[in-house]
Amino acid sequence: MFYIVGLGLGDCKDITVKGLEAVKKCERVYLEAYTSILTCGKEALEKFYGRELIVADRDLVEQDADEILRDANKTDVALLVVGDPFGATTHTDLVLRAEEKEIPVQVIHNTSILNAVGCCGLQLYSFGETVSIPYWTENWQPDSFYDKIEKNFLNNWHTLCLLDIKVKEPTLESLTKKKKEYMQPRFMSVSEASQQLLDIIKKRQEGHKNTNITDSSLGVGLARIGSENQKIIVCSLKDISNFDLGGPLHSLIIPAPVLHPLEEEFLKKFKI
Amino acid sequence: MVNFTVDEIRAMMDKKRNIRNMSVIAHVDHGKSTLTDSLVSKAGIIAGAKAGETRFTDTRKDEQERCITIKSTAISMFFELDDKDLLFITSPDQREKEVKGFLINLIDSPGHVDFSSEVTAALRVTDGALVVVDCVSGVCVQTETVLRQAIAERIKPILFMNKMDRALLELQLEAEELYQTFQRIVENVNVIIATYNDDGGPMGEVRVDPSKGSVGFGSGLHGWAFTLKQFSEMYADKFKIDVSKLMNRLWGENFFNTKTKKWSKQKDADNKRSFCMYILDPIYKIFDAIMNYKKEEYEALLPKLGITLKHEDKDKDGKQLLKVVMRTWLPAGEALLQMIAIHLPSPVTAQKYRMEMLYEGPHDDEAALGIKNCDPNGPLMMYVSKMVPTSDKGRFYAFGRVFSGKVATGMKARIMGPNYVPGKKEDLYEKAIQRTILMMGRYVEAIEDVPSGNICGLVGVDQFLVKTGTITTFKDAHNLKVMKFSVSPVVRVAVEPKNPADLPKLVEGLKRLAKSDPMVQCIIEESGEHIIAGAGELHLEICLKDLEDDHACIPIKKSDPVVSYRETVSEESDQMCLSKSPNKHNRLFMKAQPMPDGLAEDIDDGKVNPRDEFKARARYLGEKYDYDVTEARKIWCFGPDGTGPNILVDCTKGVQYLNEIKDSVVAGFQWATKEGVLSEENLRGVRFNIYDVTLHADAIHRGGGQIIPTTRRCLYACLLTAAPRLMEPVYQCEIQCPEVAVGGIYGVLNRRRGHVFEEMQVAGTPMFVVKAYLPVNESFGFTADLRSNTGGQAFPQCVFDHWQILPGDPLESGTRPFGVVQDTRKRKGLKEGLPDLSQYLDKL
Repeated sequence: MFYIVGLGLGDCKDITVKGLEAVKKCERVYLEAYTSILTCGKEALEKFYGRELIVADRDLVEQDADEILRDANKTDVALLVVGDPFGATTHTDLVLRAEEKEIPVQVIHNTSILNAVGCCGLQLYSFGETVSIPYWTENWQPDSFYDKIEKNFLNNWHTLCLLDIKVKEPTLESLTKKKKEYMQPRFMSVSEASQQLLDIIKKRQEGHKNTNITDSSLGVGLARIGSENQKIIVCSLKDISNFDLGGPLHSLIIPAPVLHPLEEEFLKKFKI
Repeated sequence: MVNFTVDEIRAMMDKKRNIRNMSVIAHVDHGKSTLTDSLVSKAGIIAGAKAGETRFTDTRKDEQERCITIKSTAISMFFELDDKDLLFITSPDQREKEVKGFLINLIDSPGHVDFSSEVTAALRVTDGALVVVDCVSGVCVQTETVLRQAIAERIKPILFMNKMDRALLELQLEAEELYQTFQRIVENVNVIIATYNDDGGPMGEVRVDPSKGSVGFGSGLHGWAFTLKQFSEMYADKFKIDVSKLMNRLWGENFFNTKTKKWSKQKDADNKRSFCMYILDPIYKIFDAIMNYKKEEYEALLPKLGITLKHEDKDKDGKQLLKVVMRTWLPAGEALLQMIAIHLPSPVTAQKYRMEMLYEGPHDDEAALGIKNCDPNGPLMMYVSKMVPTSDKGRFYAFGRVFSGKVATGMKARIMGPNYVPGKKEDLYEKAIQRTILMMGRYVEAIEDVPSGNICGLVGVDQFLVKTGTITTFKDAHNLKVMKFSVSPVVRVAVEPKNPADLPKLVEGLKRLAKSDPMVQCIIEESGEHIIAGAGELHLEICLKDLEDDHACIPIKKSDPVVSYRETVSEESDQMCLSKSPNKHNRLFMKAQPMPDGLAEDIDDGKVNPRDEFKARARYLGEKYDYDVTEARKIWCFGPDGTGPNILVDCTKGVQYLNEIKDSVVAGFQWATKEGVLSEENLRGVRFNIYDVTLHADAIHRGGGQIIPTTRRCLYACLLTAAPRLMEPVYQCEIQCPEVAVGGIYGVLNRRRGHVFEEMQVAGTPMFVVKAYLPVNESFGFTADLRSNTGGQAFPQCVFDHWQILPGDPLESGTRPFGVVQDTRKRKGLKEGLPDLSQYLDKL
């Protein structure tokens, strides 16, 4: 059996009982460590589960899936995924491959940022398409996600923006070389993300393109959701770009222009 | 005694209309350096008697020993022109009023093809070229190459027929025969000029014409020379005719009948060609009288010609006397000086039409206007064309031309390398110029500042530039165009220190070597091997010697030379190639196909290039190569290095967010075209089409990390399914030899897979010229082999000509290309065997 186990958002104790049972009986347990991270480290997890974990980086999961699935039809193998296995991450390919090899797959769900954002008081029903905001480089500054935010905004939907994380990504220069060099781990903060949004807004205004979102539009910054020291703030995009929410991981919401009175009341709690 | 001071030269630098920047170019052994001596001696830098033997501009020991120029050498000289000669300069841009002096910045360049990158570097900083042709051998392959380069850079040529002494003494040519030889050379040169220059272009007519005085005749070795102007002046009084009118009469189909005193356009029984009668006859008479020791005859002749011998020369006879007489009668320096001053353009004239060829930025910004007007008060624009080693080991003078503004000791300037892009910080330094200097052949002189239109050296810039660059004070300046070489570094050797502990010295030495030569490439392979790539065997030999003796100063082991190959395809991919990104959410669909014949060369020559306006380029590709114009408008890029002879074409229809992955696809394309699938050699002549792309909905999942490697895998799959082939470089060889040796040449060429495509006799001589194509790979030891098979009578000149497919399938073991691929892979430390298609091609 191949288990894909969601770990939730906070610390080691967020794993479900069913998930923990699976972890305990598996021969090999991989910890996927590139699409997200837990605030506690690998050591804390190992201690809590009472067993050894194998860290699976991007190369292993994407290019060496056969190694993960090795013997999974005979014994039990688990892949631990932060959040929910099919949440903001992309493990559908692994399931397809396992099924191709006739390996039975069981998915153990958990909470994901996609539903945990409800904690800020915005109704999950009113969210539009989710976007990610990637780190810009000097030559690569995509802004197609902004169109989606605009579209949501016009439809009076909220937009959840997931922010780029680089746990172990090769540098662009080394991508075309045989020896890979990796970038320093980086996690995009709410202030960095809103700054990129402001840059796009500014560029569009200078190009006389219509934008409905401006620097005084509301933004909701979320940090470390699911952990004990989670933090939420609500203020204009301009102010949010100067606000330090502390350690990773961060998410940003651009709320719809017209809010439900209850949503409005709830958000007031986090106004600064 | 040197007849000028540095202060005088500095004063002349401000008289920009009286400056002539010129290079001396020719085929190897046609006597450039020897001829240059005449000017150097006229300037008083070397004694007149030594001119022709010193080869002052051959500054290196090996240059003197081998009698061959290896590096181009610059020298600045000051001359004054007589009032009567000044009248010949009519354009107001060619002369400052009331100034008689001229500053000539001369660069003597090597003639051997292996060093033609030095010629390119010399041409860039000059405005005129003295093309020297040995009148015995005529126009040779390298004459044509350098002349073509000169015209392409908009350098105005003048012609000099050298080695007349040989024509007279060795070949004993009749006057009429000699005239025909001259006439033929002038014609050949003008044909080349006409081929590459548009008379209606900005440079106007540049053909050379003896009757205008832009063609000189003489002997550099003996130190005498003349143009028709000199002889016209002698006869003008006698005929009571204007000098320039008489010059027209002295060349071409003009015959004079001494009995009837009538000019005629046709040859009759009792008239004679004016050139033979008035110019060659007197020269023949002197030669005859002196060489045959007819003392009375020549003693009577000399006063008639206005020659008085110095006391110490009176006892000489034979060749020695001939030299003295000819040199006194027709001093070469004088004739050359007049040709240069009258016919070559001043910077003011030249920069007007050269600006658009030189400057990459908009043609109306401050820098462009400064260059166009040669304005010393404009922003500084200087091009560094090469690095010259200093006596201080490891340091270099940055040698170049100031096109606008002024460069001064201590001034702060922007130093921009070839990769600088305006607005970015890459390859840009802002530093002070430590010192400006004047290059004087083997010496340098410090100088306070140098205004536009001059050539000079800079100290302290070498650490910021690899080989070439632009120096400016204008913040928004673009680069001056990088030079395009006519030769490519196709021959390479691997080097390592004999003592492994010397490795750091070798690495440092390689860096210096790369600086000191405009073209040599020093590469570190990923396997750790140090590679030196050069134009040919001789070039590499000199580079290795310099590395060992001057740059690294350690004993070095070197591998046998190997050539670089290119990878290409011979058919269209037999299937649509799909590759998925590592996260499997992005899919690329592409195919490869060979480019039509000639397109790769068009890209090499810059006729099709990434900077073209895309609509015009698409029209050109449509007309010439039958490309679909809509597709041709969507060429994403060229590669490798953004300019190479492979293209990536977007043939997709309505793919959303395609522009967001364009940069990543381009990066993958650059990578794959630089390191092909077979043996990681560059690709050549391949067109890739992107037909479809599937992308993840979210930008984060289609970043460079996902797309770049996928593009490369997909391109590799395209190559492997399109019948890949190897291409090898081929030289064009020109071999001169007497008839008896021709047979030996054929034998040697056959053994080396060469084939002859032209064989002809040089008119008026017993010499034959054989032209052949020879694979570079077979050229090692060719010169020695040829000599031993022809009794030392054949001398080849090999110049890189084209790439040619090496017959056979590299994917099939036992073929020749298969062997080459395996050898290359082994040398580069790659996995032996063949690349596996399933590694690159994904299934749907």
